[in-house]
Parts: sequence; structure tokens; C-alpha cells
Amino acid sequence: MWNNGITGLFVELTNRLGLNYEFLATGYEAEIWRDGFITTLYLIALLIPVSLIAGLLFAACLTSGRLWLSAPVRAFVEITRNTPTLVQLMFSFLVLNSFVSNLVGGAQNNPLTPFFWVVAMVGLHIAALHAEAIRAGIEAVPASTVEAARGIGFSKLQILRYVEIPLAFRASLPAIVNNLINLVKLTTVGNAIAVSEITYASIMVWTQRDNVVSLMIVILLFFSLINLVVARVGLWVERKLAVPGYGL
Amino acid sequence: MTTVALSEPRKSGHLLRNIGFAALPALILLWSLADLTLGRELVEWLPYLASGFLMNVVISLSAMTLGTVVGTIFGILQLMPYRPVRYPVVAYVQAFRNAPHLVLIFATTYIFPFEIVVFGNYLPFPDWLKAVIGLAIPASAYVAEITRGAILSIPTTQWEAAKGLGFSRSQALRWIILPQCLRRSLPPWMNILASITMGTSLASLVGVHELLHAATDASTAVRRLDFTIIAYIVVMAAFFTLCYPIARLTRRLEQHFNAGSRI
Repeated sequence: MWNNGITGLFVELTNRLGLNYEFLATGYEAEIWRDGFITTLYLIALLIPVSLIAGLLFAACLTSGRLWLSAPVRAFVEITRNTPTLVQLMFSFLVLNSFVSNLVGGAQNNPLTPFFWVVAMVGLHIAALHAEAIRAGIEAVPASTVEAARGIGFSKLQILRYVEIPLAFRASLPAIVNNLINLVKLTTVGNAIAVSEITYASIMVWTQRDNVVSLMIVILLFFSLINLVVARVGLWVERKLAVPGYGL
Repeated sequence: MTTVALSEPRKSGHLLRNIGFAALPALILLWSLADLTLGRELVEWLPYLASGFLMNVVISLSAMTLGTVVGTIFGILQLMPYRPVRYPVVAYVQAFRNAPHLVLIFATTYIFPFEIVVFGNYLPFPDWLKAVIGLAIPASAYVAEITRGAILSIPTTQWEAAKGLGFSRSQALRWIILPQCLRRSLPPWMNILASITMGTSLASLVGVHELLHAATDASTAVRRLDFTIIAYIVVMAAFFTLCYPIARLTRRLEQHFNAGSRI
């Protein structure tokens, strides 16, 4: 609570519109709610690099041409894309987590929190989507470009690092931005395993005060704003990286 | 030269995919045969899980139907030359395309009353119906964007030709533009269908009796770790068998239409 005067004014003005933000004036609920926003932002900030790095690794496996690398990743990608994230999250939290607990001797020793599982599952889920986008981009790199790189003595890994990924990244950027918007939306599944992100915090408030509509307006605006920022940054990067005359 | 080299792994990839398609059901079957007590438990609970899955299918199909009807209308309205019509629709599409499905399901569940009064009769307004509306809202926003994109992708010369033949604007839309849009918007529409189908599992968080909810019920009743694992694998397999064929068909249609437009 930075300024009681401004908050008070806001509560009064919105009250006239029939919206109830009275909880902002109380310390406890306002704090839970603000923490919810921060947790969601933190999740997003953490998940974007995690998903991008894992997605690059998956894409490298998919295009490696070695069956023992590509087949498991392909299976993972297909299962991830075609089953609900919530089910994956519940499965990993209830099953994998209890395996880990058994391994370290009791749940009290388990270092893995619900927060970790949300980052792991949502991160891997979006990574699978990134991998597909990057793979499509790599396959769209002209064969003559790759051959030219091979001709001047690049190894397979060097071709991937210096030729294919830079070009593929440009081609797959729109799809990646789309996936990142999905990522922002997916952070809400953390609610299912009691990670106190914004929807979970809001439930805490509206079960006490019955002001669902007021909170929903803020949540929808919040997500619209984040996704607008993500889309704008994506567009900016796209323009920055554009190769003139290359059509990408 | 490279195309020949590429076609080989693709073939084995196709085979792999088909093996992968049967892998989850095969795993369930093998495991329940290996441990017969587990198999018996699973057979006992299968009807309960199936009733949950039926709810997923019902929610998904109703949400998609509602979303398609509303979305198509909104997509056309987005291109209207009148600003007072266009702007609210554009705002609706932007807001709900970017909103998490879970938040919309929460919104409809908690904001709508649990019963509605129609001519003095109290009609129940069940949670699953609220979940349908909660999923139909994002579906309609996506469909509106697809419709808008598809209409814009039709060359303007077609509009002019229709005008030249004496068609009015709405007649041109109905008889010339929309039939062509149908073909182009089918693959993205099916993508949405798959994502809405997977989104139905979110309804479990507001207490709708669907597959994930049923699996949680079953695993709390049986209290066996291996049953919990296999119950969730059944859930995954069920969604996979529903969504994977849609995804495959979408990809095939996309390739088909791409090949057609390239000529």
C-alpha cells in the first residue's frame, strides 16, 4: 500500500460504478493479491527463457537425423501437444513428486515445490511447441545454403549453430511469439496445485468478499496487457532481425 | 539430392508415429495384464471414467458449436464499415483471445447464477453449461479472427467481380466469399477444436464431473500409487486418441491446401 489516499479514492470511485475493491484498503488481502500478481509475473519471466532453451534443445534433437535422439523427443512432443497441460501437471505433481519423496525419504525432505512443478511442466509443454516451430523453420532453410556451409567445411553442429538456427529462428518467430502468449495463459494452471498466482490469490479474496466481477475485470486487463507487451516485443524483435530481401 | 535424402527419415517417422499412437493403450493393457488386481480395479472404474469422458466430449462439442456460430458473426462484424459496430467487436476479440481459458471458466462459473428464472419457472443452470460458455467465449474470439483473416485473404477482385454481376454486398459475402473461406479456415478451426477439447479438463477445477475429476475421484477411492499412475495414463490416452487424429488431419489438410494454392 503506497498511498492510502489514492487507494481510498480509487475504492470510492469504483464503488460508485458498482465495483467492489474494498479489500485493497485492508493490509492482509491486498498483500495476498499483490503477491499473486508478482508470482504470475515471476513465473512468466522464468518460463520464457526456460521454454526457449529447452525448445532449442528439443529442436536440435528432432533435426539431428539420429533416430535414438529424435524418436523419444518426437514421442514427447506429440504426447505433450495432444494431452491437456492440467492432466500432465496433476500427473507429475501427484506421481513423479511422490516418487521423488520416496527417493529422498519422506515428503518433508522433498526439495521440489509446487512452484517447481509448474515451471517444469509448463516450460516443457511450451518447449515442445517451440521445438515444432523451430524444426519447421530449420526444414525451411534452403538446402543450397546448408550445402554451401558444408562446402566451406562446417561440421553438422556448426551448420546448426551458425546457419540453420539463426535463419530458422527468424522464420519461426511468429509461431514462437504465439507460443509465448500461450505460455502466459498457461501459468494459471498453477492454481490447481496451490501455487499462489493471480487466480489463486483472487479466489482467496472473492470467497471472502463475493466481488468476482471486480476482480475478473482486473485479471482480464492484466492478461491482455501482458500479452500485448509480449506481442509487441515479438514484433519488435521480428523487425530487428529481418534480413532485407530474404522474405523472413 | 537433398529431397531424396529427406524423404527416407520421413517414412520411418510415419511408421514411428503410428507405433506411438498405439503405445499408450498398449502400455495400459500390458500393465493391467501383468498385475491382475490392478487390471480388475481398472475395469471396475472404467465405466465411471468413461462417463466423465463423455462430459468432456459434450462440453467440447457444445462450446465449439456455440463458439463457431458467434465467432463467424463477429468475424464478419469486424470487417463492417461502421465504427460503432466494429470497435466493440474488435475489443471483445482482443480481450478474450488473450485471456486464459481457466480464468474465463472461473468467471462464468462464479458470476452466473445457479438457476435462472424463465417465465416464473426456475431452471437449473448447471456448472457444465457454465463451462461450455466459458470455453465458447475464447473459441468465438479465435473463430472471429480466423473468419476475418479468411475473408481478407480473398482477393478484392472477387468482390468487384461479384459487384459487376449485380450481387449486393451481403449476397457476395454469402454466395461467393464465405464458401471460399470455409476451405481456408478449416485447418485452423480444427486446431481450435483440439485446444478447446483439451481445455475441457480445466472444468474439473470448478467441480464439473469430467474425466480428470473422475480420475482424481477414482485414485482417492482406491488409494494405490500404481492405480493412480495408470488412471492418469488412461486420462492421457483418452485425450490423445481424441486430439491426435484431429492434429494429423489438420496437418494433412494444411499440406493439401498449401499445395493447391502454390499452383
